[in-house]
Amino acid sequence: MLEHLNASPANPHRVVILGQNGFVASTLATALQAQDIPTLALGRDTIDLTAANATDSLAGTLNTTDTLAFVSALAPSRDAAAMAANMHMVETVAGAIAKAPVAHLVNISSDAVYADSVHLAYEGLPAAPTSPHGAMHLAREILLSNAARAAGVPLAHLRPSLLYGAGDPHNGYGPNRFRRQALAGETITLFGEGEELRDHVAVEDVAETIVQVIQHRSSGVLNIATGRSVSFRQCAERAVELAGKGAVSGSPRQNPVTHRHFDVTARLKAFPALRFASFEQGFTKSFR
Amino acid sequence: MSRSDNLPVIGFAGMTHLGLNSSVGMAETGFDVVCFDPDASLIAALVKGEMPVLEPDLPETAARNKSRITFTSDRTDLGRCDVVYVAPDVPVTDDGISDLADLDALLELVIPAIRKDAVLVNLSQVPPGFTRARMRTGLNLYYQVETLIFGRAIERALHPERYIIGCADPDAPLPDAFRRCLEAYGCPILPMRYESAELCKISINCCLVASISVANTLSELCEGIGADWSEIAPALKLDRRIGQHSYLAPGLGIGGSNLIRDLITVTRLAEETGSDASVIAAWIRNSAYRKEWALRTLHDRVLNTTADPLIAVWGLAYKENTHSTKNAPAFALIENLHPYRLTAFDPVIKTSAAPHPAPIDATSALDCAADADALCIMTPWDDFKSVDPAEIASAMKGKWVLDPYRTLDAKACSTAGLKYMTLGVADA
Repeated sequence: MLEHLNASPANPHRVVILGQNGFVASTLATALQAQDIPTLALGRDTIDLTAANATDSLAGTLNTTDTLAFVSALAPSRDAAAMAANMHMVETVAGAIAKAPVAHLVNISSDAVYADSVHLAYEGLPAAPTSPHGAMHLAREILLSNAARAAGVPLAHLRPSLLYGAGDPHNGYGPNRFRRQALAGETITLFGEGEELRDHVAVEDVAETIVQVIQHRSSGVLNIATGRSVSFRQCAERAVELAGKGAVSGSPRQNPVTHRHFDVTARLKAFPALRFASFEQGFTKSFR
Repeated sequence: MSRSDNLPVIGFAGMTHLGLNSSVGMAETGFDVVCFDPDASLIAALVKGEMPVLEPDLPETAARNKSRITFTSDRTDLGRCDVVYVAPDVPVTDDGISDLADLDALLELVIPAIRKDAVLVNLSQVPPGFTRARMRTGLNLYYQVETLIFGRAIERALHPERYIIGCADPDAPLPDAFRRCLEAYGCPILPMRYESAELCKISINCCLVASISVANTLSELCEGIGADWSEIAPALKLDRRIGQHSYLAPGLGIGGSNLIRDLITVTRLAEETGSDASVIAAWIRNSAYRKEWALRTLHDRVLNTTADPLIAVWGLAYKENTHSTKNAPAFALIENLHPYRLTAFDPVIKTSAAPHPAPIDATSALDCAADADALCIMTPWDDFKSVDPAEIASAMKGKWVLDPYRTLDAKACSTAGLKYMTLGVADA
């Protein structure tokens, strides 16, 4: 459900990335540079989006021809303090584009805006987050939508599914932790028997999608997922296989099994030439 | 009555799909019909026997009854009719809403031209409330539910299951001429108030959509669990509560804009009246999802893995035996294949009509399949059923065949080495 303001892809004058060292931000910068798109990555050292003067600092940095990619988030946002920090960030961005409207704003949100019980996610589904992290992203989406509308700035909200990749600094339950554990020869302990099906997407494909959104100056909402879900057990067993060591074991189940699949039709329509790695391909690559 | 044999003369205004097929069907039944359309060029073509729509038996039936049919662009010719049907096709906007402007304009054109004792019948589908809002003093106005099916229009016109008639007063007897016109078909006649008839048509379509949605939902489940919907559907049809003629063939969503239009009407009315229509919204969503089966499958199996693929598409028409491309599944697919090489063939639609920047023309189905990495059969024309899968396999470069309507024989395709994909089964 994206609308392309550029019928044909065109490089922007510059992409300002809010986020520098993060998993997505750094991969995005690399992907943009590969397309010869000038980038300015702003980390917390340069502009602390939670600081009192951050709005003016950011507005002073922005040009009207810039694309602004809002990647920064305190994640996972599990408590009120993290929520407050993330709200400060969006307040800064909203204030900055009010003072210095940019040509395009891209907000990296999350599929956590959908309810946990949703088994087939698509862009037209009403957001109904059940976690503080999802509520944070939904609140940021709403606040940014209002701000962008007022400033006349085209805005795209991108909702990636579960990310993985070699450079992921997080160690949450899933492919990245499994890879590290397998490479260390450890036993991967699954929740229950790891039956849950999830759509794990390679960070490089997320970055490439963001590049396409930027080049098409797209507005609207798009999920970023592969369209094929695999179980955590499959992930873990594949990690052990690829590492050539480690082991997989189950554990008593604490929570009911839920699955999530994505209808990726909107992505296929928005970017028909964009190819995503299958989990098998992407996960194998992350071991290299 | 206007004829010596006492059969009423029937007029039709609006010579598009509905009006033309209905009027020709009525002539075949033995009535003299006056076929009016303000478009003089359309009338001139009809006089020459050139039909503006493709429909089985339409040209032959029209020719056979030439002496009973008067095509005219002069509305005063309707003055000799005892019953006048107003029957233009009602276009549907991109938002799924009926555009009734043409119907209203035609009504205003026709009403002054008919006799005061003539019966005026609106045959075009309208939303609840439309007919009563057009009622005026001295006008014998009725609404008759049409049940036209594309590709079976003449058959449906000649053999109606029943007539559903919307009336200002359902307890009052139908005017004699109108009653005799309807009784000629020997089927039940069901008079009811205007609003009931208007909602009855929508109700019929909702029942059809319910069946289609069951088929589409469960056929996808079949694909996931190793069942085959083609084995299940016949069992359902033998259940009297479901029926032999139920719409249980899986498809690419809900075909045609009229069904979706009716669902949207129901959701709008439910919103206005405060009733729950969440199931209708679910049908609409499921239809949109299943409509893209070919696109998703093509990406999953071919486009995501094949360098510079050539995609062949058989069939561009909305369905077999029509020349309409509105809401054609092929067009919906092709619109999203612009970055890829595409070739297409249809027995009646020119390849150049395909919504693609550079569609490659083909002279035949097999010519179209030549060197293709994947073949998508998007309209189940009979012409395609006779093509030998071995010849397809020999012509193609790749092996993928996407055949949502099971036009080809699955086993023959597999034997020929093709990788055959269809709705309702994981590995056909």
